[in-house]
Amino acid sequence: MIKYIVRRTIQAIPVLFGITIVVYGILLAAPGGPTAKFAQNPRITQEMKEDFKRAWGLDQPVPVQYCRWMGFCSKEVDAKILGVLPAPAAFIGPKGWPNLLPTPLSGASNGVLHGDFGFSISTGELVNKAISRAALPTLILASSALVVWLVVAILIGVYAAIHRYSLFDQAATVFAYVGYAMPTFWLGIMLIFLFSGPGLNILPAGGMTETRVSPPFGSDDYWVYFGANTVAAILDIGKHLILPLFTLVVVSIAGDSRFVRASMLEALGQDYVRTAKAKGLPARTVTFKHALRNAMLPVVTNIGLELPLLFTGAIVTETIFSWPGMGRLTIQAINSFDYPVLMGILLIAATLTVFANLLADVAYAVVDPRITY
Amino acid sequence: MTETLSAPAPLGSPPAHEVLLDVRDMKTHFKVLDGIVPAVDGVSFSLGRGQTLGIVGESGSGKSVTALTIMRLLDIPPAVIGAESEVWFDGREILHMPLDSMRRIRGKDMAMIFQEPLTSLNPVLSIGEQIGEQVRLHLKVSRHEARDRSIESLRSVGIPSPEARIKQFPHEMSGGMRQRVMIAMALSCEPKLLIADEPTTALDVTIQAQILELLKVIQQRTGSALLLITHDLGVVAEMVDHVVVMYAGQVVEQGTANEVMLEPKAPYTMGLLESIPTAEKRGGRLSVIKGVVPSPFHLPPACRFEPRCPYAWDLCHEVAPELYPVVGSGSGRRARCHLHQAAGESRRVAALELHADAMRVGRGLKEDPA
Ligand SMILES: Nc1ncnc2c1ncn2[C@@H]1O[C@H](COP(=O)(O)OP(=O)(O)OP(=O)(O)O)[C@@H](O)[C@H]1O
Ligand code: SF4
Ligand SMILES: [Mg+2]
Repeated sequence: MIKYIVRRTIQAIPVLFGITIVVYGILLAAPGGPTAKFAQNPRITQEMKEDFKRAWGLDQPVPVQYCRWMGFCSKEVDAKILGVLPAPAAFIGPKGWPNLLPTPLSGASNGVLHGDFGFSISTGELVNKAISRAALPTLILASSALVVWLVVAILIGVYAAIHRYSLFDQAATVFAYVGYAMPTFWLGIMLIFLFSGPGLNILPAGGMTETRVSPPFGSDDYWVYFGANTVAAILDIGKHLILPLFTLVVVSIAGDSRFVRASMLEALGQDYVRTAKAKGLPARTVTFKHALRNAMLPVVTNIGLELPLLFTGAIVTETIFSWPGMGRLTIQAINSFDYPVLMGILLIAATLTVFANLLADVAYAVVDPRITY
Repeated sequence: MTETLSAPAPLGSPPAHEVLLDVRDMKTHFKVLDGIVPAVDGVSFSLGRGQTLGIVGESGSGKSVTALTIMRLLDIPPAVIGAESEVWFDGREILHMPLDSMRRIRGKDMAMIFQEPLTSLNPVLSIGEQIGEQVRLHLKVSRHEARDRSIESLRSVGIPSPEARIKQFPHEMSGGMRQRVMIAMALSCEPKLLIADEPTTALDVTIQAQILELLKVIQQRTGSALLLITHDLGVVAEMVDHVVVMYAGQVVEQGTANEVMLEPKAPYTMGLLESIPTAEKRGGRLSVIKGVVPSPFHLPPACRFEPRCPYAWDLCHEVAPELYPVVGSGSGRRARCHLHQAAGESRRVAALELHADAMRVGRGLKEDPA
């Protein structure tokens, strides 16, 4: 098992490497760019633009930019081959070892390989810092969404399968179709309208904390406040969490409750379930020990493939509900052509996706004894 | 028949103590989109303690449904069980008892082995767990003792190194081994009745004989009763004392294995026997029963075998035959055929002779290597 996980992790390296190239390529091909925002501003001269480009290294040929961003090349060496490719000398770090080696060996600290995603073009802040500030809110939203999603989808699916064609099953079917068909942004806005509008007004329309009471989430002041009023702070976040959470999970629950139901129905019709009944086992044991475990096999894979939805779904949801997470940061970065931030986010999302798949495969192997590595 | 469902039909009285299983007028129909499938349509038979009974019949004759009805393993609906049907087991009526009471009988006093050994074991649970959970449930023993008993019952069905096997999963075993595991599981709580539904159909020929031999040995050793379902008359002769022959959801003949095999009285059974390739008949022309099993939606109006019966006459098309006692035989000997009532007297003699000829043809050919 450990060997399998290690092997899969090593296999992920070329995949992730490929992803960095693709991500870079896509952003290059996209119209606009970091300098686009100056186009409309008459006070910015051509000279200032050149200075800006030089300062950010945007004057360099693309391969050099990429190598520096990745951390293959040293930033200090300007030498190039044919004026396009980085010269061999550029691959040597300050200590005379290859630049891509870990910092203590190479002396280099630039680039993704050294954990450095550069600076945000729009705020000048370290990308690492911007992302880590946004990571916790997204983690809170995504992990609570994951729990609600799995528990609710499995409960609905299993119950509907056991009581097939019952009123509950039919209601679940209707919910699934409606939920699946509903656009996330529309659902979010409707929820705000319903629960935060002038009528009910029982839930906050956005944000993560009550701004009149607590400092902005993630700031140093906030943690002081959090330490002093832990329970109130957690309840406050919980209250702000309800609507975005619901918006985020509805589609997944709608789809997966159907999937669980189908899978469970199939398992309930299998010969081994009949055997379990013939052994005199109580209905509960037959359903949960014998049928459900088998029914979960395809579900586990499916969920692994759907995990990235939490991230992509968060982009829309966080924007609607001003949730200060990665999704909102993504939109902000796109709007301001903040490529370093965007690249960092995309790379992290890709890594998470690759490991979500690995996790699904491992989980599958754990529940199915027929899988060998 | 269409009384109110709320008042359960009054039960008959229990059979004598020596009778372990008494099936009375069992009717199991399936409500499907196209109509109603009368899969089992008024079947009665009984089985004494420690005795063996075979149910024989072509595919689709209702053998499995009979067994599943006794075990109460059918989903209701689509299955509909006749209100007047009764199954008495070990002194109690089990067909209409609460399912909770039935669960305490299933797997303990009455166990079943299925037709499909490859899919009847749970793929994600170890063998030890699958046997052990049943032992723990019914015998209320500790995990440790359940493990010992599981090992013991695996050993008793001839599985080598059972201590290692209990940690294995079904996919790590051959079909024959899995059927042995099923048998071990069925026997783990020492049932009074073992129902085996075509336990060897899905297995290799060489394994088939082994499994049947095993069932026989175990039946004799433990003294449990055996209800063996098969479409193979050869198996019947080897394995059981009494036989029930089924056709299209009905019993068409019953008697001891010897009686049924040597002197069949229903034309359907005669046809079945004539179509067995025996050593004597090798080289001879095998007769098969012409025609096909009737669709359950378009059953012949009277005798269900009439379209395929070589001895049929007008009466067979007009009046449904009952399960008549066979003239000059014991009380357990019956055949569902008009040949065995007064109106069929003359034809009976002719039919029995024709059958005897058909069975002799092969023997004659064997002596004369033409
Ligand atoms: N769940 C069901 N729904 C509808 N019809 C069914 C169902 N189960 C069985 N039947 C029908 O009942 C009839 C008897 O089936 P059964 O399985 O008892 O046959 P069998 O004698 O065991 O045959 P085989 O030798 O193929 O196992 C068949 O016509 C079958 O199609
Ligand atoms: S009743 Fe008639 S048709 Fe039916 S088996 Fe007997 S002879 Fe054949
Ligand atoms: Mg069958």
